[in-house]
Amino acid sequence: MNKKSSKISTSIENYSHLELANLGKIFFKEKKFIDFRSKGNRRGFEAIKDINLKIEKNTFVSIIGPSGCGKSTLLNLIAGLQAPTSGKIIIDGQAIKGPGPDRGVIFQNYALMPWLTTIQNIEFALNTVFPAKTKADVKERARKYLRMVGLEKASNKFPKELSGGMKQRVAIARALSINPNMLLMDEPFGALDALTRSYLQDELLSIWRKNKVTVVLITHSIEEALLLSDKIVLMSSGPSAIISEEISVDLERPRDREKIEQDPRYLKIKMRLEKHLLRETRAVEEVT
Amino acid sequence: MMNKAISTRLTFAVAILSLLIFIILWQVIAQQGLLVKNFPGSFKTIASLIWWVSDPFFDNGPNDLGIGTNLLISLRRVLIGYSLAVLVAIPLGVLMGMSKLAQSSLNPYVQLLKPVSPLAWLPVGLFVFRNSEITGIFVIFITSIWPTLINTAFGVASINPDYLRVSKSLGANKSITIRRVILPAIMPNILAGMRISMGTAWLVIVAAEMLLGTGIGYFIWNEWNNLSLENIFVAIIIIGFTGFILDQFFGFLQDKFDYSI
Ligand SMILES: Nc1ncnc2c1ncn2[C@@H]1O[C@H](COP(=O)(O)OP(=O)(O)O)[C@@H](O)[C@H]1O
Ligand SMILES: [Mg+2]
Repeated sequence: MNKKSSKISTSIENYSHLELANLGKIFFKEKKFIDFRSKGNRRGFEAIKDINLKIEKNTFVSIIGPSGCGKSTLLNLIAGLQAPTSGKIIIDGQAIKGPGPDRGVIFQNYALMPWLTTIQNIEFALNTVFPAKTKADVKERARKYLRMVGLEKASNKFPKELSGGMKQRVAIARALSINPNMLLMDEPFGALDALTRSYLQDELLSIWRKNKVTVVLITHSIEEALLLSDKIVLMSSGPSAIISEEISVDLERPRDREKIEQDPRYLKIKMRLEKHLLRETRAVEEVT
Repeated sequence: MMNKAISTRLTFAVAILSLLIFIILWQVIAQQGLLVKNFPGSFKTIASLIWWVSDPFFDNGPNDLGIGTNLLISLRRVLIGYSLAVLVAIPLGVLMGMSKLAQSSLNPYVQLLKPVSPLAWLPVGLFVFRNSEITGIFVIFITSIWPTLINTAFGVASINPDYLRVSKSLGANKSITIRRVILPAIMPNILAGMRISMGTAWLVIVAAEMLLGTGIGYFIWNEWNNLSLENIFVAIIIIGFTGFILDQFFGFLQDKFDYSI
């Protein structure tokens, strides 16, 4: 059990934080014509089905799968932004009914409000989640989280004045400011250049170490998943995507970018992931 | 690359030159009677303009008002009718953008009424209100409502779904989402609509006032009865200038609320 030794001090905390039970999502279209090419049910598009997954508290889990398989759909369901067609999402033993401040969501396009400054974007989240907090309290807390992502100096800048990496750091600060115990991230670093991406990956890891949060990360990068995760969940190609495999990444932390690439365990998992992705992507390409 | 100051000065010089040529051509054409006889020349018109502008606010009864007084009467009608329209159009537009039900129940009326000249409502207004002042405001209200309403509804319907997702993921209620997310997000659309509304209102008030008495539109009608074409040109210049200022004001606001890079 060396993989979690640094994170988990007592075994009491080692229960499942998030549980997906027979989760399924069908999109019902309002289109006036019938799309003959769409597979599956004529009345709806089944994106994912029978998803069963348990995620332990304070672990880092990545979900990987061919594009269009339903990763974002799955994350939106966990965030409570969409309602599942079937099945349940259980958090801390309770079935969720919608979104909640226990989950911080980070979107691929940063989703900062362009009419608010950096600090106002965080204050918006805080004011919404903690309406009773005083103005000074909110400001102080927003500052604290900006400091955490190293952007205190940019607090009065507007999003358009920031680089992609800085924007995503603001989004991370916003998501963490409401003190969630779960962080849901949908390809957060996908649009960034390689250097910024590595930098933010390290930053995310250090944040994860300091704040007790369970992280669910959607990614299409095998290296990213291997570097960051305790567990990697593989999804099959859609429609009706399922979880085809769960792989534990038993590599010690902290993980050194260069060193783990030499590790035979790393290489073994990497090959397995590559094979899976290639197979599933081929399935997508041949259907369409 | 041309120096910026020089290029600005050059643009200004060209504009002045073109204005001078225009004034001279106008004067020559009028003086020679090339268009019609007794067509007022630019010199006469400019003299008139100076006369009207040097004492703009006199009041010798409804048929003899200073041009400034008439302008203020028109602006007042426009501002009241326009403001009422905006106050109705924005909430209604948000409702139409957010709710399929509101959209499908209101859209037929919008589509049907939008292409009708607002002047068609003038007799209706006179019949209902029996008051030319309120009728003028009513006509401007009808004029102004459509562009703002349609732009607002479109803005809401095409809002970046990311903003709504953030708001929803934070558990924001409808009121917070509308006030703190939707309204700021669609400000560019609202302002674009308000700008078109104002432009149309300013076009329509002149026509409406020809039938209503007082105001800059009535001034034109009155000067037509006096067969004083140069005074009509004075009014055209004043109307154009005022419309330009109003439009620039919205242009300024639009720049302020332009979120794009
Ligand atoms: N709101 C929606 N309505 C209809 N179909 C959707 C909707 N959202 C996603 N889909 C479909 O569901 C599938 C999975 O989408 P998504 O979860 O975005 O995939 P991924 O994030 O893995 O690339 C895609 O085929 C997509 O077209
Ligand atoms: Mg996606």
